[in-house]
Amino acid sequence: MTADASTQITELTTDDHACLTFGEAEELFDLTAAFVRDGLAAGLEVMWLSDVSPGQAVAELARRGIVAGPAVAAGQMTAAGCEGRLLSGQTFSAEAAVRWLTGQLEWSRRQGFPGVRIAVDMSWALRPVTGIEQLPQFEQGVATALAGSTASLLCQYDRDRFDPVTLASVAGFHTRSVAAATYHSDAVLRICRQYAPPGVRIAGEIDYQAEQPLALALAEAVRLDGDIVVNMEGLAFIDARCTLMITDAARTMAGSRVVTLRCRPEVAAGFVRLDVADLDGVRLETVR
Amino acid sequence: MSGDPGPPAEAVRGSMPVLMQDFDDGSLYALRAAVAAHAAAAGLSSTRVYDVVAVTHELAANAVRHGAGHGQLRMWTDRQVLYCQVTDDGPRTPPHRAVKHKQTHAEPVPWPAERGHGLWVAGKVADQVSVDRGPAGTTATIAFTISPSSLPAQTQAPERASPAVAANPPRLRPDPGNRPESAGS
Repeated sequence: MTADASTQITELTTDDHACLTFGEAEELFDLTAAFVRDGLAAGLEVMWLSDVSPGQAVAELARRGIVAGPAVAAGQMTAAGCEGRLLSGQTFSAEAAVRWLTGQLEWSRRQGFPGVRIAVDMSWALRPVTGIEQLPQFEQGVATALAGSTASLLCQYDRDRFDPVTLASVAGFHTRSVAAATYHSDAVLRICRQYAPPGVRIAGEIDYQAEQPLALALAEAVRLDGDIVVNMEGLAFIDARCTLMITDAARTMAGSRVVTLRCRPEVAAGFVRLDVADLDGVRLETVR
Repeated sequence: MSGDPGPPAEAVRGSMPVLMQDFDDGSLYALRAAVAAHAAAAGLSSTRVYDVVAVTHELAANAVRHGAGHGQLRMWTDRQVLYCQVTDDGPRTPPHRAVKHKQTHAEPVPWPAERGHGLWVAGKVADQVSVDRGPAGTTATIAFTISPSSLPAQTQAPERASPAVAANPPRLRPDPGNRPESAGS
């Protein structure tokens, strides 16, 4: 397989070695949550390696409607740090890390899991760690270890913190490139798909000039299955035109499913003026 | 509205603007940032600052989209009232159709109905709105009282819809119209 920039997080399958790039924590958590959710639903063993504590990981998943507690208790899911797995102290060894991964795959197989999903936040590689120059070697070893297996690995790179040379050097070892479907992104506004829970995420400031990407994002959200969330927690300004567009879309989507508009009180006031909270199937949630 | 002859014109003559800023479609973000800064400095609450920004943006966006494509904002305070005035000096409509116009309750909004949502919002949010339209362009002025106790209830408790909207104080200007039914109408 070759790297495909259009791959969605929900399209990953077994033996994928995917490179996920993200721009902010909210995007990382959203994509990771979808990866975990789909893995648990398929009965796979799921590991989430990051700086997030197990409690925080479970809470983050819960915030997105994913109940992970029972899976953690049953040993189906693990949320842990990279220390003792990919790292030993402040030292990174590609050979040792690949050996840990291979052992983990074998352990999972013996436990009877049909496969394993591992999400790894690679931010540890930004810290002063000895042996970091072996990162491309590690990614190459992972590709070999995963070949023909029922495991998939999601390596998560912060596109703003990792330099382009490093990203380019490891990209070639991945079978897929994953990122949130983005409809608009500049210094003022970002509109992208949200995966867990499904919907649209809008952050920054939006006005009529972003009418087209907003219309596209909402049109695609209409086609998603199940309940929809329009996540506007990071939205600091919305004009009347876009408020009306989202209201119209919510009215269209609501019916057999619930559409949640989540936003700050100031933004919510615009929806309140349109009596959105009184629409059947539409929930207006305000957050601080 | 008849009880208040309209302080904006007097205030323009009597008060020094704290902000004069030209704008076009590429500078609305900067305009909002400037308005927010000056509204906060004038003493409005953060919620009310958002309202000032939102309404000013709607007026400026109208000038950009339906007027000359650019305009100027003036902002000043007078007797515990913050005024924002958006001037569009070049209407796109043919000159022979442009008529000196002072909006009242019975008269239509100066922009077509599908473009009237911004003015509708202005009428709901601002304490006072006036729109003058003539051959030289459109001048829209909004006023916000700088007094926390006079803040509309809807900005303090936006969780529910109807009661909060109904809690708005009486307008000193005509309501620009009924709520648009849809974005495309």
